[in-house]
Amino acid sequence: MNAFSKPSLPVRRGLIGLAGIMALLLAWFFWIVLGPGPMSFAGGSRVTLANYHGVDPTGVPSELAHASLLKKGEYLTRAADCGACHTARGGVPFAGGLGFVLPFGTIYSANITPDKDTGIGTWSDASFLNALHKGIDDEGVHLYPAMPYASYTSMTDADALAIKAYLFSLKPIHAVVRDNTLVFPFNQRRLMGVWSVLFNSDKRFEPNATRSPQWNRGAYLAESLEHCSECHTPRTIFQSLNNRRKFAGATQAGWRAYNITSDANSGVGAWSDADLAKYLSSGNAAGHGSAGGPMGEAVDKSLSYLVPSDIAAIVTYLRSVPAISTSDLPAPKATPAPASYKEGVVADYDPRGKKVFEGACASCHGWTGVSPVTHYATLTGVRAVNDPTAINVAETVINGTDYMPAFGQGYSNDEIAAVANYVTARFGVSPSRITGKDVAALRKQASN
Amino acid sequence: MTSLRINGQIHEVDVPGDMPLLWVLRDVVGLTGTKFGCGIAQCGACTVHIDGKAVRSCFLPVGEIGNRAITTIEAVGETPTGAKVQKAWLDLEVVQCGYCQSGQIMSAVALLAATPNPDDSDIDAAMAGNICRCGTYVRIRAAIKKAAGAQQA
Repeated sequence: MNAFSKPSLPVRRGLIGLAGIMALLLAWFFWIVLGPGPMSFAGGSRVTLANYHGVDPTGVPSELAHASLLKKGEYLTRAADCGACHTARGGVPFAGGLGFVLPFGTIYSANITPDKDTGIGTWSDASFLNALHKGIDDEGVHLYPAMPYASYTSMTDADALAIKAYLFSLKPIHAVVRDNTLVFPFNQRRLMGVWSVLFNSDKRFEPNATRSPQWNRGAYLAESLEHCSECHTPRTIFQSLNNRRKFAGATQAGWRAYNITSDANSGVGAWSDADLAKYLSSGNAAGHGSAGGPMGEAVDKSLSYLVPSDIAAIVTYLRSVPAISTSDLPAPKATPAPASYKEGVVADYDPRGKKVFEGACASCHGWTGVSPVTHYATLTGVRAVNDPTAINVAETVINGTDYMPAFGQGYSNDEIAAVANYVTARFGVSPSRITGKDVAALRKQASN
Repeated sequence: MTSLRINGQIHEVDVPGDMPLLWVLRDVVGLTGTKFGCGIAQCGACTVHIDGKAVRSCFLPVGEIGNRAITTIEAVGETPTGAKVQKAWLDLEVVQCGYCQSGQIMSAVALLAATPNPDDSDIDAAMAGNICRCGTYVRIRAAIKKAAGAQQA
């Protein structure tokens, strides 16, 4: 039998099977790569900014139309929330060094103060635009998409350069950032070039001519500057955004970024416009509780600085995102727990949960969950408390919030698990069953 | 100006709405019986009553109080339950250093107002957030029961 003779039937079947698998893999690959864009859900006709005849949805709001470039840059820098990631815990703002703990190592954010040696002081405008739009630094090195350039890519040149002007007005800080600790192959930055070709559109914002000016402003703010998708949209196996499940929620840095689609139960469909606006601008809305973790930071450092018309635009845009239900996120329980500690909790819970709660939690949160102290501490109706994974409850206990002290150093993993289970059982719609091991895993995932 | 109803009297205070009630009580109104302990609602030394319920004043923004009645340790003895609790505290000599005790008494009075005859677990649920570094817990528990008995009588 020579090499060119017809293969036997089993071999032929094998080859056909292999070809079939390859075809399926390719189809799957292209299904991900050619997935919808972040604003595809809206349909309609999109036009370039130059061809758009409505009010310019980019730039600063009308209140700042006549402000200096630095004032505009400051507003946009806050709107893009650069400071949240480019500031280490307790560090100098924008001097970098915050660690992003990933399954394959830790990435440290860059120093973006205008220091010539360790910051971006020598960067040209073109380098800065390249970083924001293409994810390439001034030396041609590819950035990791922890820097949300796939979102910032839709930012206009003028807005990006206003941000640069603001950053260059800051005091230069000499701060060498630690090297990343990524393992092979994730330490091969060139691979990020391939990733960018596949997943970074490198396109500036295109308004949707069939939508209102307010919607377009909201789309620009939410998609480009505030980069909401980076946390709230789940990712594909290639870590690109899975826009087929846009805003359906994901877990980031150990916290659950919840479903913010218009689904009435899992998402924010049941929230009023006023509640959404209040939550975004102040971090709290009656009946929905307070933002904690990364969302608390986003409110503190970014959203709380937006003018009311910009918040309203984001709300308009959010409202238009199609509803997607998340199976484990039912509508939050809207009624308070009984006033007596004796009622309202099933009996088989770890008694340590109640013990921790009565000593450390009850004085602020009350036994009903409606805080006698401040509405910021009310637990009734809060999404995290109505999440049977209790991920964000445990994270809040470990790390605290602006208002709540951190208890991570004061209680063991088992105690934190017990109190999280007690809280979801008492105040939520379905109880969690997390363990000390789960809490230990959460401690490791936080950015630091 | 914020109007506060403290111990039956109206006080007009010129303070920001997010100032904790404790600061207003001690530094503006001059009622220093309520103590500053931890400042993060974890120790109970700053406990006062808002409409009869025990609340940590170190974390309570004055802007959220409105017209609700504020009672502090200075006036709690004017209520029958408050008087009985204070007498029980004296009879059993509960106090050691005393720093936490105004908070302890405020929590105990609120407990007895809601639960006239508390058992040990009621006392735990109501008093666990009031910390005493001298360790007077045993006498606190006894005094609460004594006051409850006096109430029944």
